[in-house]
Amino acid sequence: MNCFHLKILAAERVFFDGACRSLVVPTLDGLYGIQAQHENVVIAVVPGTLSLRSAEGEEIVAAVSGGVLKMENNEALLLVDTAERPEEIDLSRAERDAAEAKEALLQKRSAQESHLAEERMARALNRIKTKKYKR
Amino acid sequence: MASAKEIKNHIGSVKSTQKITNAMYLISSTKMRRARESLAQTQPYFDALRTEIARAFEHSDSKKSHYVAGHRKESDTDAYGYLVLTADRGLAGAYNQNVIKETLHLMAQHENNKLFVVGDYGRQYFLSHRIPFEKSFLYTAQSPSIPRAREMGALLLDLYDRGEIQRVYVVYTEVGSGMNLDVRADCLLPIQPETFAQDSPEENRLRFEPSADVVLAHAVPNYVTGYLYSAVVESFCAEQNARAAAMDSANQNAQELLETLKVAYNHERQGAITQEITEVSAGARAKKQHGKDRCSHEK
Repeated sequence: MNCFHLKILAAERVFFDGACRSLVVPTLDGLYGIQAQHENVVIAVVPGTLSLRSAEGEEIVAAVSGGVLKMENNEALLLVDTAERPEEIDLSRAERDAAEAKEALLQKRSAQESHLAEERMARALNRIKTKKYKR
Repeated sequence: MASAKEIKNHIGSVKSTQKITNAMYLISSTKMRRARESLAQTQPYFDALRTEIARAFEHSDSKKSHYVAGHRKESDTDAYGYLVLTADRGLAGAYNQNVIKETLHLMAQHENNKLFVVGDYGRQYFLSHRIPFEKSFLYTAQSPSIPRAREMGALLLDLYDRGEIQRVYVVYTEVGSGMNLDVRADCLLPIQPETFAQDSPEENRLRFEPSADVVLAHAVPNYVTGYLYSAVVESFCAEQNARAAAMDSANQNAQELLETLKVAYNHERQGAITQEITEVSAGARAKKQHGKDRCSHEK
């Protein structure tokens, strides 16, 4: 099967760097799939669950935050704030985070604070979803 | 001249201070190394993000985005926001003073200023000098982290989006070549396209999904977060560097002081011994003289 090179850079580390068969990322219009020889494109990525199949056929799932994906000359580069594998996610912590964010939202604070709380809730829910992802 | 006992006390206190400064030196050099490592890990992400933003600028009608310089007319009444990165504690040489000096210098050039302070030292300074500031972020200077940077970035972006501030400067310290510490004041928002100068002319035509502006709007908050994070880490490195240097020179000064004190103490002690010997021998001689005198009287 044709492969392409994929590099996933999170803010704090290099998450993935190697050959990959297919990649599915969450975008504004839903999931977007990429395989080898895809046309050159730049896509805005939204928080969600990413999945990719490496050259060895292993499926890798990760919770990602918003960012940008670039496919150019059969090389993909994904830039996201954070990328976490399900086994790195602490479910109870994510649930606590979601509950706290919900509380903060209910307190009807300033627009800016509620915006932050919304984002935090989205991240927490995304982690929970990725953790429970069924293969 | 102080007595031998006083000098001895002095030596003791200098020694214990030296122990503290030495420990602080070791701690800051370890912290510096760790901060450097975490900065090195963010560097590839940040560099790639910069490149992509530059590409997006080229493809989009960049004048349309309000994140780009030249979108609106500048006026003298614009509110400028300054994010000032200081340490939480002093004892770091001129590190904090330099940052504050640069900030005051910038603020003197413009009318409408809003201050955002990171670090306890800066907060205390502006409080005690009655310079009003919008917000202070505590406990951020000590442990740079992405969520903290995101929080700061979200706050600044929100104010910027709502038009409450028209420019955002970041005042931070950079570890330059040869371990020099340079204070830098960078304009974070609006983004200056010149700073994204491209050096690779070979360009493929890229398609943007859904559009270049949407991609930009997505990339800019990440860029701001990444920028702030690297600025905070850079400042943290600089702070530890300054502290290590300050503590190192404190160690050396203590060593010099100890040597002079030791000489003074030995001098004093020898003096005391000599004096005692003189007194004893003088007393003995006097007694001997006295005994001889008595003998001659009895004869």
